[in-house]
Amino acid sequence: MNARKSIGEIFGFFFFLGRRTGKIRVFALLGLVPVALAVVVRVVLHGRSGDIAAVFTEILMVFFLQFYIVILSLFYGTSVVAEEVEGRTLSYLITRPLPKPAIVLGKYAAYALLMFLMVAVSLTPSYFIMNAARLAEPSLYLTFLGYLGVLGLGILAYTAFFTFLGAVLKRGILVGLVFGFGWENVIQYFPGSTQKFSIVHYLKSLLPYRPARGGGGRLALLLFKLEPTSPAVAVLMLAVVAGVLLALACWFFRTKEYLYEE
Amino acid sequence: MTAVITATNLSKWYGNVLGLNDVSLEIERGITGLLGPNGAGKSTFMKLITGQLKSNIGTVAIRGRKVWNNPALFAGIGFCPEHDVFYEDVTGFEFITGLLRFYGYSASDIKERAARALDIVELTKDKDRLIRGYSRGMRQRVKFAQAIAHDPEIVILDEPLSGLDPLGKRKLIKLIKDFKSEGRTVLVSSHVLPEIEALTSRIVLLHQGKILAQGDIPYIRELIEAHPHMISVRSSDPRALAARFVGDPAIQKMTFGADGRTLVVETHSRDAFFGRLIGAVLEGGVEVEEISSPDDNLQAVFEYLVGK
Amino acid sequence: MATIREKGYSHWDGKLGERRFPWWPITRTGIQLAFRKKRFKFVFAGSFVPAVVFLVGLYISERLEDFKSFLQGSDRLLNINPNYFKTYFTNDSLLFLIVLVLGFAAAGLIADDLKHNSLQLYFSRPLRKKDYLLGKMSVIFFFVLILTAVPGLLLLLFKLIFAGSFKFFLDYPWLPLSILCYSALLTVFFAFYVLFLSSLSKNTRYVTILVFMIYIFSDILFGILEGIFHKPGVALFSIKANLQQAGAFIFGQKLPFAVPAVWSFLILAGICVLSAAVLNRKIRSVEVIK
Repeated sequence: MNARKSIGEIFGFFFFLGRRTGKIRVFALLGLVPVALAVVVRVVLHGRSGDIAAVFTEILMVFFLQFYIVILSLFYGTSVVAEEVEGRTLSYLITRPLPKPAIVLGKYAAYALLMFLMVAVSLTPSYFIMNAARLAEPSLYLTFLGYLGVLGLGILAYTAFFTFLGAVLKRGILVGLVFGFGWENVIQYFPGSTQKFSIVHYLKSLLPYRPARGGGGRLALLLFKLEPTSPAVAVLMLAVVAGVLLALACWFFRTKEYLYEE
Repeated sequence: MTAVITATNLSKWYGNVLGLNDVSLEIERGITGLLGPNGAGKSTFMKLITGQLKSNIGTVAIRGRKVWNNPALFAGIGFCPEHDVFYEDVTGFEFITGLLRFYGYSASDIKERAARALDIVELTKDKDRLIRGYSRGMRQRVKFAQAIAHDPEIVILDEPLSGLDPLGKRKLIKLIKDFKSEGRTVLVSSHVLPEIEALTSRIVLLHQGKILAQGDIPYIRELIEAHPHMISVRSSDPRALAARFVGDPAIQKMTFGADGRTLVVETHSRDAFFGRLIGAVLEGGVEVEEISSPDDNLQAVFEYLVGK
Repeated sequence: MATIREKGYSHWDGKLGERRFPWWPITRTGIQLAFRKKRFKFVFAGSFVPAVVFLVGLYISERLEDFKSFLQGSDRLLNINPNYFKTYFTNDSLLFLIVLVLGFAAAGLIADDLKHNSLQLYFSRPLRKKDYLLGKMSVIFFFVLILTAVPGLLLLLFKLIFAGSFKFFLDYPWLPLSILCYSALLTVFFAFYVLFLSSLSKNTRYVTILVFMIYIFSDILFGILEGIFHKPGVALFSIKANLQQAGAFIFGQKLPFAVPAVWSFLILAGICVLSAAVLNRKIRSVEVIK
């Protein structure tokens, strides 16, 4: 089989498997929280659409951008290689006529799509419930697509990073957690261009709505001291990060031997 | 006959541990049994020839083509892993069809092949049950089914009979033999000599990562027969019993156990010794409480062969 | 003729010699297994950074004159009193590090047993369910106490050594008790919390994620709700805020959130009771019936 068809078949198999596991229900359930919160926001801030836009970026996007997509990508990204090694099912895959990089790319694509669907299912109702009063405005839909695009790019970049960690390290999740919930949060406090050494910086730079400084209360952290990069550069950087890390993950997976723990 | 699988000076380390030590081997068509105790290097060898591990020294080739990172080769190889592991959230049918997708077959072909493989292992009735609900025997059979579903020319089975009940073993042995009769190459590993004996007369004995002996079963038996058997007899008066055997040419050596009630005999002719022992008991005067053979197992065979 | 003896199974009629601490081998193995993970050692060592920082603070507080030029008005931060100890115990980084350490040392405590079907092996030995759970919990006790009670008491000791007098101790004689009480609270809470999650899955990586996810999610939920309602009561949704609230109460300091501390204690106790109920059910379900 050629590489493209191999990737397609792996994608199909793991997209099917991914939907079957119980874990997806837990993560999908978590995605319902913003929907419930959107209903609450709608009731509490009834009639204040300007505030609602701010609340969405400053409050709900914290959930999506700094928690939901990070935790999903961490689990599914490290799963690409680690679950096969931990579950010892790798033997079933690497003794098939498949190029090894196809296994990584196919699983990555399958899990990225699963995550994107979970995020979209959570984001769509929460966004439109909060903005129910502005459904006639075309700009609302463009902004929505902007948010969805940012989260999609975030999933691609984070998952590539965690796939790389899972392919290289035996317990990549430790480094992943420190990166996802340590480095990515702490770096915004660092001076100068340091914050550009994070994925979240480029994602924040792409957010369609940018609130005034000082808004958002405890969660104004989302855009704390953000010195945004231009959208084109941000997209390019995220694409480069995802591409390079995926290529490295494939290379490691092709050359490395994975030993099962006895 | 030409070799299907060729290993040349194959060595594999796990850190400081030597998993396989300078193994050179040619495997031909038919069934070859890989026999050795746990940790002998059987699984390491199988993982090397299925491209799951890369050798530190030496080469392994299938029909002259290198194995490591050569996916095209695997279209003709079926591998049944040792561990009882699966994608648990799928049915037996979904498991087989899912793996068959990786061979580029059409959808109808995949279904047909999966159904046939499940029929061979007698799982058609349970094909739509989740694997996590399968019994140990069923799991072992579905694992075998995934190895043969794509009709491979070479089948590599790592401990396929472990955990099966006698009936299950007999069925699987028959399946493996049927496979051989179709002119394929089958490599089976086990640490139980009778299991391998039931499958093939061609065996490779592995011990501590090295090939200890290689050939057909009669040859291995000969090697074993060249070493004396050890038989322990517990009796009320072991010395009186020993006195009856002193002049017996079948006896190589006699020693007494530390408990003062055991006579340990070394003989080349086990049957002759037992005949005489029964005679001695029938003659009276000696009461035998227990007869055991401390070396009547595979480990003892290996110990004989490595000269311990 | 020799007697042919039956070689079947026979029941043992003796009395089991009970070990005094049957759970100890489980604890010892759990601790040893954690330290076998190469990267864990670094994380564990790194978890003492807050303790070292606070120790340096203690030292500087006794040598304010020497460090005057560096401090420039921030010396009030180095006013050593029970609040200083409360700050050590309830700061975000220490709590995060405890979760991090437990995510790696303890997530697999029950999950691995479930994965390898080894619960039956445990209960085929003279071991009761409570011994099994105590053995597993003691692993968590070890790690949490070593990050809380031990540095806390050492900080107190160093304070006395650096000051060269017992005045601080005489001023706050209840402080050691507060340190022990709050350490015990953290230990018991995290033991139930982590073991509960560990009993939910056979996949240790997934449990590690759950340990973090619930801890962080509860705090994010608090932030979101506070952003919407601007009410301090929503702090009760956060595990971290509840622990900080309980800590402030135990150290006799001003509560960080304007909610009665008793609510936080009740919520933490509720999580423990729920965890105990789930653990009781999960462990019993595979216990060998005598």
